[in-house]
This record gives sequence, C-alpha cells and structure tokens, in this order.
Amino acid sequence: MMADSMIQLRRFVLVLVAATTFSLSAAAQQARADTTEEFIAQLGDRALQVLVQGAQSEEQRADAFRALLSDGFDLPLIGRYALGRFWRKATPAQRSEYVKLFEDFIVTTYAARLGEYSGETLQVVSSRADDSDTIVVSEIVREGLQPIRVDWRVRNGDQGFKIVDVVVEGVSMLLTQRDEFASVIQRAGGDVEGLLNRLREKNDAQN
Amino acid sequence: MQLLSNARPARFAIAAGALLAVAACATPGSEPSQIADPLEPVNRYIFAANLAIDTTLIEPAATFYRDFVPDPARESVRNFLRNLETPILLANDVLQGDIDAAGVTGRRFFINSTIGILGLFDPAAEMGLARRDEDFGQTMGHYGVGPGFYIVLPILGPSSLRDAAGNFVDYYLDPLNHYAENTDRGYITISRTVARGIDARSRTIETLDEIERTSIDFYATIRSLYHQRRQSDIRNGTTPSLPKLDLTSDDADDRTAALKQ
Repeated sequence: MMADSMIQLRRFVLVLVAATTFSLSAAAQQARADTTEEFIAQLGDRALQVLVQGAQSEEQRADAFRALLSDGFDLPLIGRYALGRFWRKATPAQRSEYVKLFEDFIVTTYAARLGEYSGETLQVVSSRADDSDTIVVSEIVREGLQPIRVDWRVRNGDQGFKIVDVVVEGVSMLLTQRDEFASVIQRAGGDVEGLLNRLREKNDAQN
Repeated sequence: MQLLSNARPARFAIAAGALLAVAACATPGSEPSQIADPLEPVNRYIFAANLAIDTTLIEPAATFYRDFVPDPARESVRNFLRNLETPILLANDVLQGDIDAAGVTGRRFFINSTIGILGLFDPAAEMGLARRDEDFGQTMGHYGVGPGFYIVLPILGPSSLRDAAGNFVDYYLDPLNHYAENTDRGYITISRTVARGIDARSRTIETLDEIERTSIDFYATIRSLYHQRRQSDIRNGTTPSLPKLDLTSDDADDRTAALKQ
C-alpha cells in the first residue's frame, strides 16, 4: 500500500518534471525563434532608416551601410566560407588580406544596390531551426508587384545574432559568391593570389 | 489534340532517347551546389558572343520596349504570352503528378481566357490562383534527373543538358507549335519566342547590369545563379534547402569539393 503510493508519487513527479522540462525547452526554442525574427525585423528597420535619410552624402551613407553590415553579418565567417576549400591553401598573410578585401568587396557591391531603393519594406513571415542556425523567412513587399522571398540564415554566436547567408528566391548569395571565387581561382591555375588580384582591382575601381 | 497527331510518336522516341541520355548522366540523391561545366571554354565563348548580341540588340530593344510601351500594355502582352503557355504548364503539372497544380492551371486558363479577354488580363491571380512556371526540365528534375552539365545556348543563354532536352520536349507538348508547323506559319513560333525574350529581358535590365558591374567573374556568377534558380524551381520554391554551413571543420569543405570532382 505504502509502496504503491510511493511509486505513484514518483511517477507523478517524473511526469511533472518531464512536462516542465519539455515545455521549458519548447518555450526556450520559441523565445529563440522570436528574438531571431525580432533581430531581422530590427535590421530591416535600420536599413530602411539608412535608405530614407535623404540629406546625407554618399560617403555617410556608405559608412552607415558598412556599420549595418558589420553589425548584422558575420563577414569574416561568410568570407571564409566563400573561399571554401581554398581557405586551407591560402597562407596566413593571404587569409588576412582576403578577409579585408572581401569585406570591402561586399560593402561596395551591396552599397551599389542601395541606389535602387523604391519603397520596399521587409516583412518577417516565420522562422525555423536548422541545425544550430535559425532560418528567418521574410518577404520584401513591393508596390503592385509580387513579394520577393528572402530567407536569412542567422547564427547565435559569441557576438550575438549574426547573419551568415541570405537566400533570395532560393538563390544563396553565399553559394553564388563561393562559386564565383572558385572559378576565378581555378582560372588562375588554382592560385588564391589570382582571386586577391581581382578583388584588389575591383575594390580600387569602385572606390 | 488533333494537332498533336502528326509524327508525334517518332518525336517522342527522340525525346525519350534524349531523356535517357540525360538520366544516365544524372547522379541521383545528391544535389551538388555546383553544376558541372566540361564545355566551359566553348560556353564562355558563346556567353561572350551572347553578351555582344545582347548589348547591341536585345538590351536596347528591351529598354525601348520598357520605356515606350505603357505598363498596362506590357502587362497584357505578358499575360497573353503566359496564357498561351498553358498546355506546357498543364502537361508538366500532370506529369509531375501534381493534380492540385493542374487544377489551378486549368482554372487559370478558363478564367483568364474568358473574363480575362483571351488572356490579356490575369483576373485569376486576383482570385488567389497564382501562376507557377513548369517545364519538362523541371519535370525531369522532379523525378531526380540531375542537370547533366551546363550549356550556354546561342542567343537563348544559360541551360543544361537536362533543361535543353526539356525545351525540346516542351516544344512538342505545345499544340500551337504543331499548328504553326502544319500550316507553314513558322513566324508564329518565332515571333512568340522573340516576344517572350524581349518581355523577360525588359524585366531584368538593371539587375543584370548590376550583376555584371559588381562581379569579378560574370560568367561564373550567372552559371551559379542559373543552377540555383533551377534547383529552387524544381522544388517549386517551397522550403529551399539552404546550403549547410559547416565551418567547424575545414575537412568538410574538402570532402564536398572532392565529391564534386
């Protein structure tokens, strides 16, 4: 009798603990998803502010944009992944130069796209976990046109949330960049220096 | 259907042969991020020639079309051309076993051809029946056929072994092409292709210019974009499987790279 009720009590506690743990982890996951979505939405708002502030020089705008990029994106990590298997072949000096060149390249490339802003807004739709990352699904809403689907791969690391990839209508910017860089290196006979040269030229031409 | 009868079996045999050839090259199961490009030197040559033709002829024509033809007229041209593509869409919806999509395509055709005045307008979209592009290349992809390798077609641009074979099949799936052939009205097919090309180009003028300006290997960028876009279309844009990023070990990169070669 006594033993029976002990077992029942124990069972009850177990179920209670299991239930609480489960709901806690579900809540934690939900919280993580919510805050990741919030992160993307805030970044979108900040980008919008940079875009609509009319009275500023091109330089100020580029600076604001650079700050936005380095806050929101893990550029060193993206750069490293964009170099793919050639990262290992690069010397330490080449690596550190590459990381700088890559950042400049990305800033100038994407700053060029800012000029075409015409009233689009970013709307966060949903998010889901993908391995250790969170994928935030969003839409860029345009007047009278079909919305563009943009998925953000966000990683929560030491420095908080950072975007590691942007996927526009199923096209990964990171993969595109990696394919392009791989092609440049292969055409230079597998020499990373070939890529560094092209990046230097490109950055110089655009600055 | 009468239109389709002539010489159809022979053509289908050819198409089936092409399909098998493509299927044989395909690697089932895997979805490599990069597309094979054994013809790269030839492809780059054709790509450069295409660019020259584009700069001198197609882009100016597309810009003129966009700047001088009013928006509503261009929308109607596009709607009309798209409505004409219904047989291809419908056939591929069915071939993919997607009966829901076939229903949407069928209803869209019915609504747009009547209320939409011969397809000049797209009231179906406003009723929540969105268009989804399908072609035989996607149908093959749906059944696990890989792209084979990258091909740059003269004037038509980026394609793959699978998708070029798919275009060929789509051509014969379309009754309008048979009508044009059987009645010696080849100009129908040609003008339709030109109109589609100008319409498509007029919507990508800034985007393509910008990609060309900002890339350090335009050819490789377009090749990557083409491949990724097709993979996404085959999945019908739903839940794109984002590339896995494993940066914890350098070996992972090397292993995938080794697999690709």
